Amino acid sequence: MTDPVRPHLPDMIRLSGYLDGELDGATQREMETHLAACPPCAERLAELRALTAAFDALPQDTLGFDLAGMIAGRLAAAPRPSPERPAPRWWGLLPASLGAAAALTLGTGIGSVLIGGGAAMPRMAAMSVFDTLPPGGLCLGPDSCYSKGARK
Amino acid sequence: MGDRPAFERLVRRYQDRVFRFILRMVGIRDEAMDLAQETFLKAYRALPGWRPEARFSTWLFQIARNAALDALRRRRHIDFVSLTSGPDEEAIDPCDTAPLPEELLADKQRIGLLERALRELPVEQREILLLRELEDMSYADIAATLNIEVGTVKSRIARARVAVLAHYRHHAGESCHD
Repeated sequence: MTDPVRPHLPDMIRLSGYLDGELDGATQREMETHLAACPPCAERLAELRALTAAFDALPQDTLGFDLAGMIAGRLAAAPRPSPERPAPRWWGLLPASLGAAAALTLGTGIGSVLIGGGAAMPRMAAMSVFDTLPPGGLCLGPDSCYSKGARK
Repeated sequence: MGDRPAFERLVRRYQDRVFRFILRMVGIRDEAMDLAQETFLKAYRALPGWRPEARFSTWLFQIARNAALDALRRRRHIDFVSLTSGPDEEAIDPCDTAPLPEELLADKQRIGLLERALRELPVEQREILLLRELEDMSYADIAATLNIEVGTVKSRIARARVAVLAHYRHHAGESCHD
């Protein structure tokens, strides 16, 4: 802490940590010594204590009913949580409309083969839905779509 | 940990604390009630993933906090000002907390000013003050709940205290530099 003889700005981070008892032992003792000789810092500490006292005086709102009973009712209708869930099948990640479009395209393709023969059949771009990465920004796994270390 | 009667006991034990925290985060009672319920339902579903080495209360408040932040984002009321880069390391002006007699803050009328000042804080400051001042969490538990470093907790709490006192003084019509 700053020399108590010379005027200084109180170190609010240390004062706050001191108030909460979160400084290490040596620093805590150093602060005690400093506070005894530094009225400005002692005054700031008194304000922080007053603030804590004011928080204690805030109304203690309560729910006013038994949430457990309400949740029990909802849980009774829900399956128990399981630690091991089967991995979702990849087509489960596709929206229904995309699946329907793929089925329709596949059916059209098979039909054209049966009717007109395979030689003249144009390449069907829509079959690309079966590529490794599906269109529409769908992700088969987090590594496919999100770069690591993007947080913060 | 999987049986429902045991979980219901946990709900009864924590329901008011979780509700109060969420209420002071979102400010609307009905919404806080819904979010408290959502928190416990999410906790129940996530129980298989809970690690016994993590404190249950810390883990539960993580879920409650996320629910509150999601609600605030939906309302677009969230303050996205980041306090983790830069300001934490800046000096805090202690003039922002110029003398504030204890008896003034103890006054019920002044408690309303404190609630107002608290509501006006950025979310990052409000949540950390709630966890410290109302939940009496240690810095380590706050760090785990908010997924930040203990050093950041230390500086952010100090900054939040200075800020809430500055807001309080502002509403009380006082000025630091009078």
